[in-house]
Amino acid sequence: MSYRFSVFYGFICAATLLIAGCSRPVEPRPFLAIEHEFSPEPARVGPATVTLKLADATGKPITGAHIAIEADMSHAGMSPLFAEAKEAGPGRYEAHLEFQMAGDWVILLHVMLPDGTRVERQIDVRGVRLN
Amino acid sequence: MNPSSIPGLETPDSLPFDLMRVPGLGHLFRWRYARPLLQIPLLILSVVMILHGLFGPTLAPKNLATTLSWLHFRGVLVLVLLCAGNFFCLACPFMLVRQWARRVFRPRFNWPRALRNKWLSVGLFVLILFTYELFDLWSSPWWTAWLIVAYFLSVLVVDGFFKHASFCKFVCPIGQFNFVASTLSPFEVKVREQDVCTRCHTKDCIRGRREPISDLVTIRGCELALFQPSKVGNMDCTFCLDCVHACPHDNIGILSRMPASELMIDPIRSGIGYFSRRKDLAALAIVFTFGALLNAFGMVSPVYAVERWFGGVLHVSHETPVLGVIFTFFLIVEPVLLLGLAAWLTRAWVGKGWAGTRRALVPLAVRYTYGLVPLGFGMWLAHYSFHFLTGLYTVIPVTQNAIASLGRPFLGEPLWTLTGLPANVVQIIEIGFLVLGFGGSLAVTYGLAEDDSPDRPLRAFLPWAAVCLVLWFASMWLMFQPMEMRATLMSG
Repeated sequence: MSYRFSVFYGFICAATLLIAGCSRPVEPRPFLAIEHEFSPEPARVGPATVTLKLADATGKPITGAHIAIEADMSHAGMSPLFAEAKEAGPGRYEAHLEFQMAGDWVILLHVMLPDGTRVERQIDVRGVRLN
Repeated sequence: MNPSSIPGLETPDSLPFDLMRVPGLGHLFRWRYARPLLQIPLLILSVVMILHGLFGPTLAPKNLATTLSWLHFRGVLVLVLLCAGNFFCLACPFMLVRQWARRVFRPRFNWPRALRNKWLSVGLFVLILFTYELFDLWSSPWWTAWLIVAYFLSVLVVDGFFKHASFCKFVCPIGQFNFVASTLSPFEVKVREQDVCTRCHTKDCIRGRREPISDLVTIRGCELALFQPSKVGNMDCTFCLDCVHACPHDNIGILSRMPASELMIDPIRSGIGYFSRRKDLAALAIVFTFGALLNAFGMVSPVYAVERWFGGVLHVSHETPVLGVIFTFFLIVEPVLLLGLAAWLTRAWVGKGWAGTRRALVPLAVRYTYGLVPLGFGMWLAHYSFHFLTGLYTVIPVTQNAIASLGRPFLGEPLWTLTGLPANVVQIIEIGFLVLGFGGSLAVTYGLAEDDSPDRPLRAFLPWAAVCLVLWFASMWLMFQPMEMRATLMSG
C-alpha cells in the first residue's frame, strides 16, 4: 500500500475516532424532584391533563414555581404544543394539553424556581393511543 | 416493441424539449464546474447536519439532521425525480468529497466481476429500510448524523479502492432508488442526433477527452459505462453530465420524453443489457415497489397490532425477529405469491409468447415486474410528500433555534408554530400521486402485454392489472390509516 493510501486511510480512521469520541458536556443540575401524572392514563389522542409535583431535596413542596411546558412528537415535522402549568395546590401544578396524534411524545418542562434558578426536565410519553 | 414506436423515445418528426437549450440553464450545465457548484452547497449542508445531529438538540423535531434528512431531503428528492430527473445524483455531495480524495490518490482495482450487478445494492437498500424501522432513525438526530458520516466514509473507501463510479453503480442504495424512480422522470440525458454519433470516431462520451501527447484524461467519459449512442433511458445515469462535457460535437442534451416509456421496451441497453434478463434489476424494482408500502406501513397504527401479534406467536419480545418476519413477508413472500400467480395466469391464458415458444415463469415475472415501478413511485411520492408538505416550514424554526443556540439569534426567536400545509389538503395530493402511479403501472403493463401478445393483449394484461389493483388498494388503505409515530414498536 502506498504512502498516500496509508495517510489517507489513517486520516479517515482518525477522523472517525475523533467524531466518535465527541459528547456533550454534562452540567451539574440542582436537585429537584418532579413527579408527574397524566389523565387519562395511558395517554390518548385528545385533551389530557398533566399534573406535576415539585419538591426540594428535603421533600418539601416547592410553591411559586413557573413551569412552561412544551410537548413534541418524536418525529420531525410536527408543531410542538405549548402550555403553562398553573399551581393547583402546594407544590402541585396542572397543565392541559391536547395530543394531536398517536405515537411517542416528549414533554419538556422549563421550570423557573422561586429563587430564579432554571431547570429543564424531559418526560417521555410513550405510545399515546388512538381513541 | 420498437423504441421508435414509443412517444418520447425516438421522435424524428417532433423535436423533444432540451433543457440544455434553455438560456442560462444550458450555459450552466455546459460549464465544466456546474457539478461542483451544485455539490458545494449540499456538502456544506451535510456538514451542518452532521454537526447539529451530533451536538445539537436530541429531539428530532428540533434538529437539522432529522428535519432536513427525513422531511425535506426525501420530499424534494421524489418531487424533483417526478418533475425533472435524477438531479440529486448530479448534486451529490459524496461525489465531491470523492473527487477531492482522488486528487490525492488513484484507485487501482476494478470492481469485482461477481459484484457487477445490483444484488449488493438491493441488500443494502433492504438493510437501510430495516435499520430505519429497527433503530427509528427518524427520531434520532445522533443516528441520522452517523448515517451521513457512514455514507461519506463508504464512498471514500469503495471509490478509494475501485476505479470508475463503482459506488454509484453497484453500492449506493440512494442511487439505486434514484435510478429506478428516474425511469419515470420526464427528462433523460441523451444524444440529440444519432447520425452525429455514427460519424464520430473518438467516442469521447465514454472514453473521455485526452491530452494528445500525454494521453491523460482531461475530461472524463461516462464512469458508469453508459455509451451514449446506445444508452436507453435513465437507469444507472447519475446526470453527472460528464458525457455532455466530453462530447466534441455538443450532441448530448437533457431531452424531454414520455415518463415510464423506457419501462415498456426491452432493447439492449448500454451498460445494462436487457431489462428482461436482469433478475437483479427486477429484484431492485420489487424492493422499490413493495418497500414503498412497507415503509409507509411502519408509520401507521395497525403495524403495532401486527407486531404484537407476531411477537405473541413467536414468543419474542425483541423487535428484530418480528421486523424480520414482516420484512420477509412484504419483500419476499408477497411479491413471490403475487408475481408468481400473475405470471402463471399469463402463461396459462396467453399460451405461447414470443416466437411461438412457451415462456418460463421467472423471465415472464421479471419482464412484468418493471410495470409495478410507477405504483411504487406513487407510494413513495405520497408518503414522502406528506411529511415534506405537512412539515414544510419547520426548517425555519429549527434553523432559527440552531442559530440562536450559537449565541447570535439574528434570525429571531424560533417560530415553533410554523409547520406546513394542512393534512387534509396534502391528503388530496397523496391520492393524486397514488392514482397517477396506478395509471402509470396499468399503462406500462398494457404496453408490455401488447408487445408480448399482439393478438390477445388483454389476456396477458389482466393478471398484471389485478396485481396493480391489489397493490393500489393496499396503498389507498395505508394512506387512510391513522399515523402513529413510535420509537418503541413492541411496547404497550
